[in-house]
Amino acid sequence: MFLFTLTRLVYLGVVLVVMSILVFLITQAMPGDVAHLIAGQFASKEVVEAISIKLGLDQPLIVQYGRWAAGILHGDLGRSLTLEQAIAPIVIEALIRSLVLAVSALFIVAVLGIGLGVLAAVRRGKLSDQMVSGISYIGIAVPDFFWAILLILVFGSYLQLLPTGGYAPISDGFLAWAKHLILPVITLVLMMLARVARLTRSSMIDVLQTNYVKYARAKGMPERVVIFRHALKNALLPTITVLAINFGWILGGVVVIETVFSYPGLGRLLLFAIQRHDLPLIQATILLVSTAYCLANLVADLLYAFVNPKIRHSMSNN
Amino acid sequence: MRAPSDSSPQTPVLDVRNLTISYTSARGTQRAVTDVSLAIMPGEVVGLVGESGSGKSTVAMAVLDLLGEDGVIETGDILFEGTDLRTLSATERRALLGHRIGAVFQDPFTSLNPAYTVGDQIAEPLIRHKGFSAAQAAPRVEELLAEVGIREPGRIARSYPHQLSGGMQQRALIATAISCEPRFLILDEPTTALDVTVEAKIIELLASLCDRHRLAALFVSHNLGIVNRLCSSICVLYGSQIVETGRTRDVLADPVHPYTKGLIAALPHITAERHQRLPSIPGTVGKAAAMPTACVFAQRCPFVEDACRNQAQALRKSAGGRDTRCWKSDALKEAPWPTEAGLATARKAPTQQTAPLIEVEGLCKTFDGGRSILPWRRRSGTVAVDHVSFTIERGEVLGLVGESGSGKSTIGRSILALIEPSAGKVTFDGADFVEGARQGDRDLRRRAQLVFQNSAASLNPRKTVGAAIARPLVLSGLTEPKARREKVAELLSRVGLPIHYAERYPHELSGGERQRVNIARALASEPEFIVCDEAVSALDVSVQANILNLLSELRDELGLAYLFITHDIAVISHIADRVLVIYGGTLCEEGPIERILRPPYHPYTEALLSAVPRLARAGDGPERPRILLEDTMVTTSGGCVFRGRCPRKRGAVCDEQAPPVQTAADGHRIACHIPLAELAAAAPVFPDLVA
Repeated sequence: MFLFTLTRLVYLGVVLVVMSILVFLITQAMPGDVAHLIAGQFASKEVVEAISIKLGLDQPLIVQYGRWAAGILHGDLGRSLTLEQAIAPIVIEALIRSLVLAVSALFIVAVLGIGLGVLAAVRRGKLSDQMVSGISYIGIAVPDFFWAILLILVFGSYLQLLPTGGYAPISDGFLAWAKHLILPVITLVLMMLARVARLTRSSMIDVLQTNYVKYARAKGMPERVVIFRHALKNALLPTITVLAINFGWILGGVVVIETVFSYPGLGRLLLFAIQRHDLPLIQATILLVSTAYCLANLVADLLYAFVNPKIRHSMSNN
Repeated sequence: MRAPSDSSPQTPVLDVRNLTISYTSARGTQRAVTDVSLAIMPGEVVGLVGESGSGKSTVAMAVLDLLGEDGVIETGDILFEGTDLRTLSATERRALLGHRIGAVFQDPFTSLNPAYTVGDQIAEPLIRHKGFSAAQAAPRVEELLAEVGIREPGRIARSYPHQLSGGMQQRALIATAISCEPRFLILDEPTTALDVTVEAKIIELLASLCDRHRLAALFVSHNLGIVNRLCSSICVLYGSQIVETGRTRDVLADPVHPYTKGLIAALPHITAERHQRLPSIPGTVGKAAAMPTACVFAQRCPFVEDACRNQAQALRKSAGGRDTRCWKSDALKEAPWPTEAGLATARKAPTQQTAPLIEVEGLCKTFDGGRSILPWRRRSGTVAVDHVSFTIERGEVLGLVGESGSGKSTIGRSILALIEPSAGKVTFDGADFVEGARQGDRDLRRRAQLVFQNSAASLNPRKTVGAAIARPLVLSGLTEPKARREKVAELLSRVGLPIHYAERYPHELSGGERQRVNIARALASEPEFIVCDEAVSALDVSVQANILNLLSELRDELGLAYLFITHDIAVISHIADRVLVIYGGTLCEEGPIERILRPPYHPYTEALLSAVPRLARAGDGPERPRILLEDTMVTTSGGCVFRGRCPRKRGAVCDEQAPPVQTAADGHRIACHIPLAELAAAAPVFPDLVA
């Protein structure tokens, strides 16, 4: 297991380096010159050049990348051009808010989705299976912003039980903090639940037909043990992958949800940075999102190896 | 070791009475078992024998209450130690399993859960049924593993299933089955997925366990030879009904029911006269009707009369438990199964060319290891085939025998350039085959074809039989539809299928029929050479005989050469002219089949031959004690590959040097350190081999 983790960490390092290069190059390729943007539309050529030299933009790309990368390794993500302050605290704050959202939604999805999937697989063809399937289809078919708006209308505007959006820091009290989380979390859960439940159902159905499940019954194991000990552990592999992908996706990609609920997470920060052409902020945010994505996949890989001893051995045995 | 049985000796351990089971599916109701009764006394092992679809496994699953949702017991009782299992609740029945009824299934690779250690899985019944704690169970698990013949029980208990060989896995399953000291075992084809030498060891183990613990068992199998070794009495199932029962020795030596006669006759005889058609059972197993109105075997029976077709047959009881479901059984007592006339035509004389059709020189195949910049991820490749050289003459059948993982399929595919050899040369009729194939030489490809083991997987399920056979015709330029249809019809009749089968889809055909289609497709390009990769291994005995006859006919009429890859010595001895015995990717022995079956033997060949289960048929001769090999993994680097399991290992020389190839008469060659004279002194495995 140690060698397996080490292997994965080495891979992770390589991926992160490649990604940082990509992020750097993509932002270089974006239209518009940073020095021009900072100096403003009517600045003279000399002023622009002075800013260029000050920011090191006249240096070759490789030098610029090296400086940027070295800064990151020292924990310095640079300064935002538009907000005119250090980037690190801004993105970290946004990251924490997004993490809260992602972790709580993912936790609920994992528990509910796997539970419903198992239920549907065990009661295959019966009413409960059909209900899970039907609800899943609705969940998949209806777009995310529709759920968000519907929830806001019902619970926010009509029943006035929950805030329609925004964020309250935990210093305002736990209740206020939690209330702002409920609707975005429910929306995220609705979007992911269907996929997780259906995937768990189908892999569970496959596993329930294997010989080792039949043999567990022939050993006299009660059905509960057969399902949860013998079948579920093997059926979870595809579900783990999908959960990990979803986790990365919530962190970086749920711009729509964060916008509809005015939730100040990473997605909205990225949107803001792109709109303002704030290159250092864009770079930092994308890098952070992709790092989180990689880490989520690392966790998935480790879970995989934990669940499936074959993977564990093939990755570390000689 | 165990307290004596508290039930009176008159009570059978298992008493199945008039059991009738159906499966319901979207396509309707299918009868699986009809009116089956059998009783197993304490300490008795009863064999339940039949071909696929006969209902034998369904009986076993009914006892275990594992029929699944579709299986319904219509009538009948299942009494276990006097209690009718059908009156118990599902929970009560489940609690008997693993506790008082142990089970071992066919495929140990899939019967063990990949996510838990072997020890954990053996401990489960102990913890569940005997109230052991995990800590108490651990030493007991090691005891059990030691009892089933595992030498390092501690290490094996901590291993995961994929780290063990097939034989070890099956031992672990047997340890699970006996963990709570049951009185009764259900053994559902427990050795079918294993190699012959491993099978011999597992059968030995089961026999000694049943003997030592006075275990009763229901042994489900299609293999009459195995049943002969283990079972005191036998029930033969055909088309959901028991057609014959009796003491194993009696039934095998003197079968009464026509089906049993045919089944025994259709098994290839190692010692019989070769170059003759195998007796076979015509036709295929029909679907069982809900209520039989005729003898289930009437359609395939050579002794059939009108009376057989008019009414269902009742089981006729006779002395000594010899029951037969045939009203003519007395009249047929002495009648043998009809033998088929010798081969239709004389073998086509080989053309006057003296050069062999195929020459293989120094063939090697290494599958890639891990290439990585991380030092702990690098590993060496797997050597599948190591410097193998041989030739195949025109019109010759070369048998290639070996166990799973011996590299026999890799050789077959390498010489057809379906996988690229790592080294070595394959010459086909003077041309470099691998190079030719690489350059897209269609004609070379046309002349060498392949038939696989899995008849269903090698046909596209969405293409009709006709389209499958026509494909190679199109590739060889026969584009005119009418001519193509005629050619397809000709090929179908050539392999003994009706012409209208061209319109059918693979799933509408039986396994034997599908294999005929595969052969027809291979013949379409008019090849000179066909690789048959376990082409008859998945088929039932009666069907296997038909396909072997067809292949012999084609060889004789078309002058085809075959590379016949199989693990079955009996099949090889029937069809092959010359044999290569392969172990761990290297050749152990090579020679004409008559030489291979007689001493001198390579130690591996000797063990392989002695492990072949045989029937107590006339002419089979007394069984020689089997040579049992350890089921350890193949040792590759340096020395002899067989040394890890060799019962005649000489010492350091076997570890250090590759064995020399010694040549005896008739091109018989053996790669072994033991001198030929010493090898020749071995007792023959088949003393009464026909000269």
